[in-house]
Amino acid sequence: MTVIPTKPPTRRTSAGGWDNFQRRYAPYIFISPFFVLFLIFGLFPIIFNAYLAFHQWTPGTGLGEMKFVGFRNFADNWTDPTFWQSLRNTAALAVESGLPQHLIAIPLAFAIHTGLKKAQHLITAVYFLPYITSVVAISVIFFTLLSWQYGVINAILGALHQLPLIGGLFPGEKVNWLGEKSLVQPSIAAVIVWRYVGWNMLLYLSGLQAIPGELYEAAAIDGATKSQQLRYITLPLLRPTIFLAVTLSLIGGFQLFEEPFILTNGTGGTSGAGLTTIMYMLRTYVSYTEAGLAAAMAWMLFVVIGILTVVNNLLFGRSGLAGNEGRR
Amino acid sequence: MTSAPAPKPLSKAARPAAGISGRAPLSRLGAIALLAFGGLLTLLPFYFMFIFATHPRQEIFSIPPPVWFGDHLGANYDSLLSRIPFWRNLWNSLYLSVLTTGTTLFFCSLGGFAFAMYDFKGKNFLFGSLLTTLLIPSSLNIVPYALIMQALGWIDTPRALWIPGMASAFGIFLMRQYIGSAIPKELVEAARIDGASEFTTYRKVIVPLTGPAMATLGLVTFVQSWNNFLGPLIIFRSAETYTAPLALRTLQSIANTDWGALMCGVVLTVIPLLIIFAFASKRLIEGLTAGAVKG
Amino acid sequence: MKIQRLLAVTALLTLSLASAQDKTVLTVGVFPDLDSVVKAALPGFYKLYPNIEIKINSLAYGDHHNALTTALSTGKGANDVEAIDFGYVAKFAEGNGMTDLSKAPFGAGAYKDQFLSFTFPQATTQDGRIVGMPTDIGPGSMFFRTDLLAKAGVRPAQMNASWESYIENGKKVVAANPGTFLIPDASEAASIILRTGLKSGDGLYFDKTNKVLISPSNPRYVRAFTIAKAIRDAKLDAKAGGAFSPEWTTAFQKGNLATEFSGAWLVGHMQNWLAKDFAGKWNAQDLPGKTFASWGGSFYGIPAQSQNKDAAWTFIKYMTTDKNQQVLAFKTTGAFPALKAAPRDTVFAQGVAYLGDQKARVIWRNAASKITPIDVNKLDSVAEQIVNDALTTVLDGSKDIPTALADAQRLVERRTR
Repeated sequence: MTVIPTKPPTRRTSAGGWDNFQRRYAPYIFISPFFVLFLIFGLFPIIFNAYLAFHQWTPGTGLGEMKFVGFRNFADNWTDPTFWQSLRNTAALAVESGLPQHLIAIPLAFAIHTGLKKAQHLITAVYFLPYITSVVAISVIFFTLLSWQYGVINAILGALHQLPLIGGLFPGEKVNWLGEKSLVQPSIAAVIVWRYVGWNMLLYLSGLQAIPGELYEAAAIDGATKSQQLRYITLPLLRPTIFLAVTLSLIGGFQLFEEPFILTNGTGGTSGAGLTTIMYMLRTYVSYTEAGLAAAMAWMLFVVIGILTVVNNLLFGRSGLAGNEGRR
Repeated sequence: MTSAPAPKPLSKAARPAAGISGRAPLSRLGAIALLAFGGLLTLLPFYFMFIFATHPRQEIFSIPPPVWFGDHLGANYDSLLSRIPFWRNLWNSLYLSVLTTGTTLFFCSLGGFAFAMYDFKGKNFLFGSLLTTLLIPSSLNIVPYALIMQALGWIDTPRALWIPGMASAFGIFLMRQYIGSAIPKELVEAARIDGASEFTTYRKVIVPLTGPAMATLGLVTFVQSWNNFLGPLIIFRSAETYTAPLALRTLQSIANTDWGALMCGVVLTVIPLLIIFAFASKRLIEGLTAGAVKG
Repeated sequence: MKIQRLLAVTALLTLSLASAQDKTVLTVGVFPDLDSVVKAALPGFYKLYPNIEIKINSLAYGDHHNALTTALSTGKGANDVEAIDFGYVAKFAEGNGMTDLSKAPFGAGAYKDQFLSFTFPQATTQDGRIVGMPTDIGPGSMFFRTDLLAKAGVRPAQMNASWESYIENGKKVVAANPGTFLIPDASEAASIILRTGLKSGDGLYFDKTNKVLISPSNPRYVRAFTIAKAIRDAKLDAKAGGAFSPEWTTAFQKGNLATEFSGAWLVGHMQNWLAKDFAGKWNAQDLPGKTFASWGGSFYGIPAQSQNKDAAWTFIKYMTTDKNQQVLAFKTTGAFPALKAAPRDTVFAQGVAYLGDQKARVIWRNAASKITPIDVNKLDSVAEQIVNDALTTVLDGSKDIPTALADAQRLVERRTR
């Protein structure tokens, strides 16, 4: 408690009224920038899209050309098998990429936080690098790595296959990572994991730093092992951070676009196995030029994400969403 | 593992002796090996990025790809500068990202402070609506966004990008989570009793203790602003106002991309991020020390 | 001269404010490699029109068209002249975003006969508006490796006699040259077959009455899918996906391809970087079964929002109807002229060094004149996507041809209303 530089009650002479005022309205003033900006720049696009969802409109024709069509756009999406396929793909990719991200990031952050002191800086930096790499670089690099006939990964696997004894563990034929229906999703997921593990690790690191060290000391004195500490101290106290990170992964996962788009050259891959809903929505907007259908699709996706977020909130978020209660 | 329990505390008391100590059990070595392996794996694509920047196009796509630096960096650099005003573009990016990051840090920590430390009417509703805005897929906003910016006359100016980006829902969310769990309410109470105004409390109590979260948010905001592509595409209209990613994209034709020049530009664009990152991660580590003070 | 008068008025108006400003600044939105063509054209253009100053705004291919879409949607921000690729021109023809060039003072219709017959219909709407002037085309050609064919004892004529003959002899070529592939991707064969042998008045996917042509009983579709499947099943293709994918690029560079179908412009890429090491080993001939098709092509249009329409038209006319400029464009990037007069230039009778001095331009000129117009439909891009998806399900074995076509038909039909 001694952190606060004790400061004499100062120079508030005529400020009795002001003091009450600022005390009362401070929180509103503090949060107002976001809401003001949102009202100006955020709300209009939402309303515009809501309006658009009930119209037929070809972007590029000018705003005067909108035609009211009622709920037809929603009905059309609802009966569109490709829309449902894209939702299934999105969910599958969110799980395939989301779970490993956190299962790697939490122990990683814990290990870095507790185990490494000198190398901490370096390791954190290394794992975070993919996050700051540009999309252009990612596309070139992963194509080079994952290429079927000429890729580095297949070259390595081929070499390993030649080894005695363990050679049988590795495929003898070149694997078509991005061209095989069953491999498209895992390949995309691997790239996403690569890109975002460091980011989640960072979130968890900053969460871990909020856990007081005395708790570990006490536990260690009681004879708790590292893994017991992780389980009984770290994880429970990390829950707000887990909630934050999982929520962000969920939202990000369902708005997944860049990686599958790049890795499938925008096609969604063979049999459309890598086509996510946002990709399909943008395709509907840009190449099918059905802006109304796309807007309706955005709203339907919004509902799906909303439902999942509520579920996530029930699972992890009891102390995460509703204010401060339950924390010390 | 079972014999491990010699205290390995985290607090300031143990810090001087900290480090990977000599009595590491096997499992610990294993963990370190795993960490190092994962780190190498993570670095590999990044490494190739630098390698590719030093090779001409034919070599980048040759099989096996080059694994060591080539001698084409200078040529790639010259080719890059002959095609786009790269340094001008980089400056545009810097200007935009610094403004966005600075304002975001200020407004989001302020907002996060309010949501974490105050009870006020409508708080849950307001916070809920803030979270809801995170769920909206932004990819469809191209046309309405362009309409607003045209109405305001902000086309081809950086403020069309940094002003709307001054406060993000994500940033407030992150700051609120951190402030709520890392800073005891009593500190704020104490400051009030000492007669500090609310803003002074924010400045003197909250800001110094949110180092790691500020570093995280600052880093992420900077990176996103730096790599942002769709926004600048709508706003900027000429080679002189383009940001670096936009300018680099103009090098990419369907067929005739000079990948060497492109990779050279990509690497040069990443370097400022690395510098920022070095700074931010230092703050992150310093946050460890700050964590020990409270409690 | 209308432009001169307009310029005079503008000049008078601005004179009182700033005396130096006596040029019309015309912004031109392009994508690579058209930017090189425009740059190369400037000296010649300035000589004729010193009062117009051109400012080139170049963006990557996809970004250029996205930015144009946004500008047309919101009514602001477009350049005075916009380059439009073949794949987008039908889209921008809808609505009133682009100026109708058939009207006065432009009168683009008068130039129609000077251009290859299939180009104008691509930029003409059903109600007769013309939204773009054609500038270049890509006459389709089969490129083949003479050395690989010779090793298998296959004559070039056997490769393009028919698709069946292509596959039969292709097997021999691949067998005689281990590690090579006949074609980058099996789907290419399907898309060529779909684009050739159309009934007059039919589009690729729709007929004149908007009826969907995709169906398990349409021989054109069944044949396209069957041939592609046969190529895939015989393991003849490199599964490289679309042109210019990294897989495609590498296959070329390694010299692992025996044939490829593309526009004539591909030679420029092969010679500069794509297949540098194989100069003299590639040759060109017509597509299998004496069919003719076009790969891509570009247009110039004027957005309705432009304030400099007259100057814009002057520029477009220069770029498209000036024979010397069209020849210059061909020399700059290999963009094959859409203007009929241009290929009569002597340069077209010369041999192509990269192709072992083969007189390939004569073949292309002949092919270009035989390409027939294909009716466009505003739903073409939807249908194309759905048909391509259906083809991948057939090629990877998840659906048989009748099922895939029936599914695709249903998916396209629910879009038509």
